[in-house]
Amino acid sequence: MTVTWQNLADGFSLGAIYALMAVGVGLVFGVLRLVNFAYGQLIMAGAFALALASQWGWPLWAGIVLCFAVVLAMSLLMDRLVFRPLRGHSPAVMLVATFAVAFLLENIALLSFGSLGKIATSVASLNQPWSIGGVDIRKIAVVAVVVAAACLLVLQLLLSRTEIGLHMRASSMDFATARMLGVRANRVIAVAVLISGALAAIVAVLLTVQSPLVTPDFALQDTIVVLAGVVVGGLNRPVPATLGGFSLGFAIGLLGGALPTTQSQYLPSFIFAAVILVLLVRPRGLFDFSRTVERV
Amino acid sequence: MTLVVDNLEVRYGGIRAVQALSLSVAPGEIVGLIGPNGAGKSSTLHALMGLVPARGSVRLRDKELLGRSPEDVARAGLALVPEGRRIFAELSVEENLRLGLAGRRARDASPGFSGVYEQFPLLYQFRKRQAGLLSGGQQQQLAIGRALVAEPDVLLLDEPSLGLAPNVVDVVFAALTAVRERGLAVLLAEQRAQRTVAAADRTHVLGGGELRLTLGPQDADDTDKLVGAYLS
Amino acid sequence: MRRVLSLDELVVPAGLVVGAALLGTLVSISTQTYFTDTLVKVAIVVALYVFIGNSGVLSFGHVSFVALGAWTAGVLSVPAAEKPAIMPNLAHFLLHRHVGNLTSLVLAAAVGGVAAFLVGVPLMRLSGLAAGIATFAVLEITHNVLQYEEKIGPGLNTFSSVPETTGLRQGAIGALVCVVVAYVYARSRFGRVLRATREDAAAARAVGASVYRQRLIAFTISGLLAGLAGGLYIHLLPLQAGGLYLDLTFITLAMLVVGGTSSLLGAVVGALAISALDSWLSVAENGMSLFGWHVDFPAGTAELVVGVLMALVLIVKPSGLTGGREFHLRWRS
Repeated sequence: MTVTWQNLADGFSLGAIYALMAVGVGLVFGVLRLVNFAYGQLIMAGAFALALASQWGWPLWAGIVLCFAVVLAMSLLMDRLVFRPLRGHSPAVMLVATFAVAFLLENIALLSFGSLGKIATSVASLNQPWSIGGVDIRKIAVVAVVVAAACLLVLQLLLSRTEIGLHMRASSMDFATARMLGVRANRVIAVAVLISGALAAIVAVLLTVQSPLVTPDFALQDTIVVLAGVVVGGLNRPVPATLGGFSLGFAIGLLGGALPTTQSQYLPSFIFAAVILVLLVRPRGLFDFSRTVERV
Repeated sequence: MTLVVDNLEVRYGGIRAVQALSLSVAPGEIVGLIGPNGAGKSSTLHALMGLVPARGSVRLRDKELLGRSPEDVARAGLALVPEGRRIFAELSVEENLRLGLAGRRARDASPGFSGVYEQFPLLYQFRKRQAGLLSGGQQQQLAIGRALVAEPDVLLLDEPSLGLAPNVVDVVFAALTAVRERGLAVLLAEQRAQRTVAAADRTHVLGGGELRLTLGPQDADDTDKLVGAYLS
Repeated sequence: MRRVLSLDELVVPAGLVVGAALLGTLVSISTQTYFTDTLVKVAIVVALYVFIGNSGVLSFGHVSFVALGAWTAGVLSVPAAEKPAIMPNLAHFLLHRHVGNLTSLVLAAAVGGVAAFLVGVPLMRLSGLAAGIATFAVLEITHNVLQYEEKIGPGLNTFSSVPETTGLRQGAIGALVCVVVAYVYARSRFGRVLRATREDAAAARAVGASVYRQRLIAFTISGLLAGLAGGLYIHLLPLQAGGLYLDLTFITLAMLVVGGTSSLLGAVVGALAISALDSWLSVAENGMSLFGWHVDFPAGTAELVVGVLMALVLIVKPSGLTGGREFHLRWRS
């Protein structure tokens, strides 16, 4: 197996994107105890928005605005129509419900756009390579890492320095007690859902640049892998979950390119075997070193 | 700003934890609630706070609180120091106190915790420390301080002396007396019957979810009466 | 003294199955495929019920056992002469084996049961969310392996050339076998103890019930039935790995949830109702006349409607159409 600079860049790039997705999933899980299977569909919707804007001849910035608008609107709708009625049900029921929503949205997309999908041409320019020290690295790899790092930094500041951030952290530790102190549940959940949606929109843009063909199952496999990464890293705490997402993204990005196809095609099996192992042996996650009680 | 509870009933499925409970707490009063385990003390406080569904009436300043969400009840002027303290172990002492601000009504009030730090100087000393590293007694002070930060009208306490050493219990009861002097209404659920009866203006004895008896501070040394009340 | 063997709990679901099969004899040969497909779905959903309904634990992985059963029956019953065409890299010992129809079904069930047992040994300790995620991982692994491993099957190719022995009769018999096994299990001591743990695990443990052992038994039996269903399925349609993956998992779970997760009747009713709806909508997608109007739904309408239905039931009435109860002929003395 030979590892090139491009492989490394791909690893970091996919790792960065998966880290953002992991945060998006983890934020909602933290406050709602709900694993949102339909997160990938939010990304898919954003990607289709970009593709449509492209088709209508809109400039790139307008397409990105549309992408954000669509994803944020859908996130809030999902909270109102699906998450809220299900609050208080068992986590397994909520998992099945989000599974149903994911299936539903994928089929709506299939009905609306057909299985062949659409192409977002406007973003293609970012897929061109830069020449750094004689090595060709695609611009998007660098952009993805920089954007992800910036997002994580902003989020960290939000969580640690603001009042709403404090409320969100407390809510994910002990929602009942937080409410008893006066923390407004609906507001905390809405903010978590919105941030999660914003991250999905960013991921939609980054992924569409890398693969401009948008189909109804866009980001489905990525979501499944990120969910696996979050579980392996540590579902209950934000940092381990993000590390888990990053690690799997890095591994797949790197190995996917560096390994010959005959070996890399079984990568999913190893990943999911790791998920099972972690759930059996260290349910709190590989990167979780805190001393709190596990909730899974 | 009296808290008036009328005919409170709390059910868990088929079990009635509290029934036909009526009491009131006026500003500057400490009202005690004693009784054995399972008598309904915690259920009463949880119902007042909106944490469990209940029937009856709970009024503060002529506003009906029953049926509202916990955060609404907190913002209306009630604060609960829950059993087991339930502080956020991974947050700092200061962050725990800041959370208490969520229940504050007056937006213009100074965001400092000077009042609480004065009452519990220990909290100021440990303000940057992770709350989980504090001892049981220190955590209890944090829990009370956190409730006071919201500047409530009524302070509810669920077995604050549970698991604490006698000298720490002294600190807790001293704090309650100071709080009473500031004009708050205090409803104190406790298992330490004698201490509570002595400190409170009046103490209700709960048994099987019902109010069995009301004692005054003069009954604090009457062991027969106390034992009889518990075992009735 | 209550009757231990409430036969009406068996007769009604079995009767519905037989009724559906008889209805199928009245239609054209091409439409019969829909009915047979329905009967196979009943088998799968009943298999799901045996585990999920009795234990209260969610499993996303049962389609793995369906797939393994399908692969087993398929590989062994493709005529030897045709194997190299669709499965050029098949392992040597499989290349020359050929079995009859009934044997292939029995082996499919056996493989399903053994696989479920092996998966269950480590996984039955888990509950709730962890169980859901772990069984989902099993589905992913099985799908990944069956998709690419060409020594045991056609890999990415479609599994064609399997003798099409599952008509209405085989489908009905297969579904009935599943219903009977599910009924016997649910009425047995094992089924009752498992249901007790579903209601209150701590109390059940206190009287000596082993939650782990009971779940493992149920999981194995349900894997066996799922394997059988897979065998039936491959003898009905040329399948591929992609068709035994997320979509099938979703549809069969939806059938169970809509029908009513905790009852055998719910499993059968859900499977029949949703299949009927799905088939009718699929036909409508090709254009048909409805009360005199020409109706032409676009492709994908069927899945959409099923998805909406499942989401609605979960939100509005999580206990499903039957409320999780069996049917009892009411006479009170």
